[in-house]
Amino acid sequence: MSQAAMSETYDFLFKFLVIGNAGTGKSCLLHQFIEKKFKDDSNHTIGVEFGSKIINVGGKYVKLQIWDTAGQERFRSVTRSYYRGAAGALLVYDITSRETYNALTNWLTDARMLASQNIVIILCGNKKDLDADREVTFLEASRFAQENGKRIRSRKNGLRYSVWRCCLETAEITTKSTSTKCSGMWVLKKQNTTSNIFTLDTEAVRANGV
Amino acid sequence: MAGLEDGREWAYRVDPYGFERPDDFDYASYEAFFSRYLVVLTRRAIKWSKLLKGKNSIQKSLKDMNRTFPDNVKFRKTADPCLQHTLYNVLVAYGHHNKAVGYCQGMNFIAGYLILITKNEEESFWLLDALIGRILPDYYSPAMLGLKTDQEVLGELVKMKVPAVAELMERHGVMWTLVVSRWFICLFIDILPVETVLRIWDCLFYEGSKIIFRVALTLIKQHQAFILEATNFPDICDKFKQITKGTFVTECHTFMQKIFTEPGSLSMATIDKLRETCREKVLSQG
Repeated sequence: MSQAAMSETYDFLFKFLVIGNAGTGKSCLLHQFIEKKFKDDSNHTIGVEFGSKIINVGGKYVKLQIWDTAGQERFRSVTRSYYRGAAGALLVYDITSRETYNALTNWLTDARMLASQNIVIILCGNKKDLDADREVTFLEASRFAQENGKRIRSRKNGLRYSVWRCCLETAEITTKSTSTKCSGMWVLKKQNTTSNIFTLDTEAVRANGV
Repeated sequence: MAGLEDGREWAYRVDPYGFERPDDFDYASYEAFFSRYLVVLTRRAIKWSKLLKGKNSIQKSLKDMNRTFPDNVKFRKTADPCLQHTLYNVLVAYGHHNKAVGYCQGMNFIAGYLILITKNEEESFWLLDALIGRILPDYYSPAMLGLKTDQEVLGELVKMKVPAVAELMERHGVMWTLVVSRWFICLFIDILPVETVLRIWDCLFYEGSKIIFRVALTLIKQHQAFILEATNFPDICDKFKQITKGTFVTECHTFMQKIFTEPGSLSMATIDKLRETCREKVLSQG
């Protein structure tokens, strides 16, 4: 393991949080990103789980270090200590549960207060495959995103990948502002390349008003 | 009593385990003892049936029972009997019984193990109560103060017993909660192999929560050199995952012996004292 870690090289390292209420599919998204597979049921996340991956964004190798947190309310006081230094957060709600949507404001406040005011946030309405049970409309969430200065993505079950594309975009945005001010970022020397890389095949779309 | 030979009396001459009672068996004292115990058993049975009847807000947080051991065949929806229902009952009953704690994620794994072992809903409930209500500090209450405290206590113990690791953690800014919160909350479920977990639990029931520190310290001390190879933050987190795998933890018999030797002496007085100071520290941090 450490051998592999040694050979890993990247230009940037970003700490990314995955936050949101319990049962919204945070771990599933992480699994999707790392393994590129959909996972039906997974054990509840207790505390925090880590995942990381190196991606190529605009010719730069970026290592995303993802912190998947426990969503249950009472774990919040524990998980709050994980926010420091995060460059971005994937804020997840479940489109079939208004409760998870209503909680977004609190999560957002936490992220901005505990990580950084400039933290890049991606709002993600999960479980689009359960559209029949939808409780939160796209329009509504879109409005919330606009009011809070984010853009929105909705996830199709078959296109889970697109969520992580958002992350790549975020990574790119953060890369652009490298030299300026992003707390959760370390600029590292690139030595050589590894095979653990996939490239972004679409044009990166800028998030506005981050 | 002697000399009565009718069938009813004979039944009393053989105890519930099949052993014949000696002629001088003290029926009066035994009767007195057992009638007292029957009261306890009856009280528990009544309590249990009441707890099962009343269902409440706990149910809402329990909607995703399928997320407890999805990799265990007995917990699958298709299993017959499906232990998800048993688990649900135990947790709802517990939420009723201990309103201050209610339901906290992590309890589902513990209750799940108890069910797998006892194969009995009610027994699992009482064992869960023994753990949460008596043996463990308040790990699962909403403020999770006991958990936060014990994580700090472990940090202090590592400082005393494995200082190089404590120094490494400090240098890279790795909070103990990041690497050990699941150890405490899940009592090593899904961290260590099943048999090892059960052996640890045996000790936990007998000797109390101190055992958790013994296990944690053993894992850390045994793998000290390996942990110290870590050169950065994710590396450290990864090492802490690695040290819970392999022969060392699979060989549960030797592992259990190790936990009583490897960390050295660990008095309850030390732990109590550390808990007190760490608790203060946690409280002052808000």
